[in-house]
Amino acid sequence: MKKALLFLFIVALLPLGGALAQDMPHAGAEIVATYMQSGTYDIGAENIEGAFEEATGIELELVASPWAVLNQNHITDLTTGTGEFDVMSGEFWIASVWDKMLPLEDFVERDEYGGDFIPTIWQPGPSGHYDGKRIGIPYSADAYGIVYRTDIFEEAGISADWETWDDYIAALDQLEMHLEGSDIAPSVFSWGASEQTPMIFLGMYDGYLVDADGNYALDEMSALASLEKMASLLDYNPEGAAGLSIDEANSVFLTGNAATMICWVSFMRAAAQNPDSSLIVDNWAVASFPGPGFPFISAWNLFISEYSENPDAAWEWVKFYINSEQATERFVELGVGSPYLSTYEDPELMEAYSHDFPGMVDNLSRAQSVPWVFEAFEIFFRNTSELVIGSISAEEALANTLAGWSEVTVPPALVQSAAAQGQQQDM
Amino acid sequence: MLKKPATWHRRHDVPWLIAFVLPAFFIVVAVQFYPLAYSAVLAAQEWTLTKSQEPEGFVGLDNFVEELGDETFRRSVRNSVLITGGAVILEMILGVCLAYLTMGSSWRMRAVRTLLILPMVIAPVAAGTLWRILLNYRAGLVNHLLGLIGVQGPEWLASPDWALVSVILLDTWQWTPFVLLVAGAAIASIPGDLLEVAAIDGASRWKTFLYIELPLLTPLLLLTLVFRMLESLLSLDSIYSLTFGGPGYSTYTMTFYIYTQGLRNFNFGAAAASSWIFMAFASVSIALVFWFQRKDW
Repeated sequence: MKKALLFLFIVALLPLGGALAQDMPHAGAEIVATYMQSGTYDIGAENIEGAFEEATGIELELVASPWAVLNQNHITDLTTGTGEFDVMSGEFWIASVWDKMLPLEDFVERDEYGGDFIPTIWQPGPSGHYDGKRIGIPYSADAYGIVYRTDIFEEAGISADWETWDDYIAALDQLEMHLEGSDIAPSVFSWGASEQTPMIFLGMYDGYLVDADGNYALDEMSALASLEKMASLLDYNPEGAAGLSIDEANSVFLTGNAATMICWVSFMRAAAQNPDSSLIVDNWAVASFPGPGFPFISAWNLFISEYSENPDAAWEWVKFYINSEQATERFVELGVGSPYLSTYEDPELMEAYSHDFPGMVDNLSRAQSVPWVFEAFEIFFRNTSELVIGSISAEEALANTLAGWSEVTVPPALVQSAAAQGQQQDM
Repeated sequence: MLKKPATWHRRHDVPWLIAFVLPAFFIVVAVQFYPLAYSAVLAAQEWTLTKSQEPEGFVGLDNFVEELGDETFRRSVRNSVLITGGAVILEMILGVCLAYLTMGSSWRMRAVRTLLILPMVIAPVAAGTLWRILLNYRAGLVNHLLGLIGVQGPEWLASPDWALVSVILLDTWQWTPFVLLVAGAAIASIPGDLLEVAAIDGASRWKTFLYIELPLLTPLLLLTLVFRMLESLLSLDSIYSLTFGGPGYSTYTMTFYIYTQGLRNFNFGAAAASSWIFMAFASVSIALVFWFQRKDW
């Protein structure tokens, strides 16, 4: 009798098992996904790890590492063909190994995925592409911006509607007069975080970054003018600003000691609206990043390694982690900039972030990435830093950069990225 | 019973000695000599991992010539000499002075010594971050304290010269306790009767130190100097967190340069060549100290 009951029970469970197999075609697969140890992207992944495993039956291991280690791990893993990681978090810094990433076109087409991203973020540059094929899906979007004190601007009768850096500098001159005798500086920037200085340069520079032959290059006239203008901004900063880190510059702005700040908005957004850490709650807004250059974008992508043994399971994680609901949740909970238009069109969020969204969306819609490998970037930011501290002239900074760049090869993926974003010299 | 001759013992022990030594020998070869030999091979290759999975060919001494001619590398050598030289000299002087000041076995002296060695047990990365906060121009404790005595503190981390001083300060703060510990132990081991004889002969405290204690301390102090020089030259983590080599290239040291070439640019040929130049540089410095130690003063 017992045996018969057991048999009936098993028979009754069979359709359920079939249904489970249909719903979980990749159940039992094991994948490893990497994230930067930032307390944001990695935490966002950890928050939904359990739900993903439950929904798909896929066993997911998350590996979070500091930025430099993360890039080292990826480059080493892909060049040696180790295949330790299935899903990789990265940006253009690892473009030298983009040829080892799996093209995602088939997945995207099959699942009709990706229609709701901010168009510029979905394009080559912010989105990883190699040989004309998509290899990366962006999951964050943060553009360089300028935040300003709405109360001070109102008092001074100044409008934050600058279009060019000359307009912005004119506003700083007006602010300087208005703030004379106070402890408030017209502007602050993290000059001491020397890797940040190129972001201002890129906003000012209106020329190519790669020449017609695919080598690193700059339009010398435009570059020189931009370098000089960039260094001149230090005069509007508080005393000692040349050594300020990102956190220290943020602190100057949050404690009310600067009227504007050039920054990553996502690094200060949450703290600026928190009365425990900010004296400027509800008294700040995001302005458009001036031209003629572009706001630099940080758009983290998920890539799938061509060495992955479970690319379908890896794609399931990509879809689970990158969708408009998750992106909006990460924006609200962790302050991570969303690459989805729907986040910025959400009526509730629009009201809550009315000081933030218009400027942010404008900046994101014009934002671009750069075709620099780390070596090229380092040569440039070290020399711009030397310029800022007055050790060398703008001419020397430019000459040193171009001399250093002559030894560095541009990976094909980044030549393509530069061409797609209009950063390559015309033939 | 006849006692077996010593030669028999020696012959009998040889296989056992070999059996015990061989594993250690192979481990040393595998762990030390193989990587060293491989890095020598790499130094003569053109190989950037991001361009090619395999070395791109033998280039002889080209990597060495390129590195020696590289302005950034030369600057990093200069910075290493300044930082190591400045920090180690300060550490030796301060360490010996503190050792004399904290001599004794009372609980107060033991407590002071314990407090003084605390910086040594802090991870260098954390120490760098801590000093970055302390040296903040606007809100750092150091400039605040200087302000209390009417001194306008410098832009520690934004000025090329003061950034170098900051790195020297950090190294000195963290590693003077090491010299203090070694010097303290050495001072305690000086035979008391020698000092008594000097006192009976009417030698002043200074002359006792100069002619009796210092010569006795010198071998150990020179060994400490070697350790500190090596450690300071190899230091990367504290600079990474304090200045990240900046501003510009102001605190770019040889190890920071090698780290950048090898693990950020993945230029293995150049990194290996720089490492060999670094090793030669460190070896010559240490050989000089040993020569100084063996010299009969």
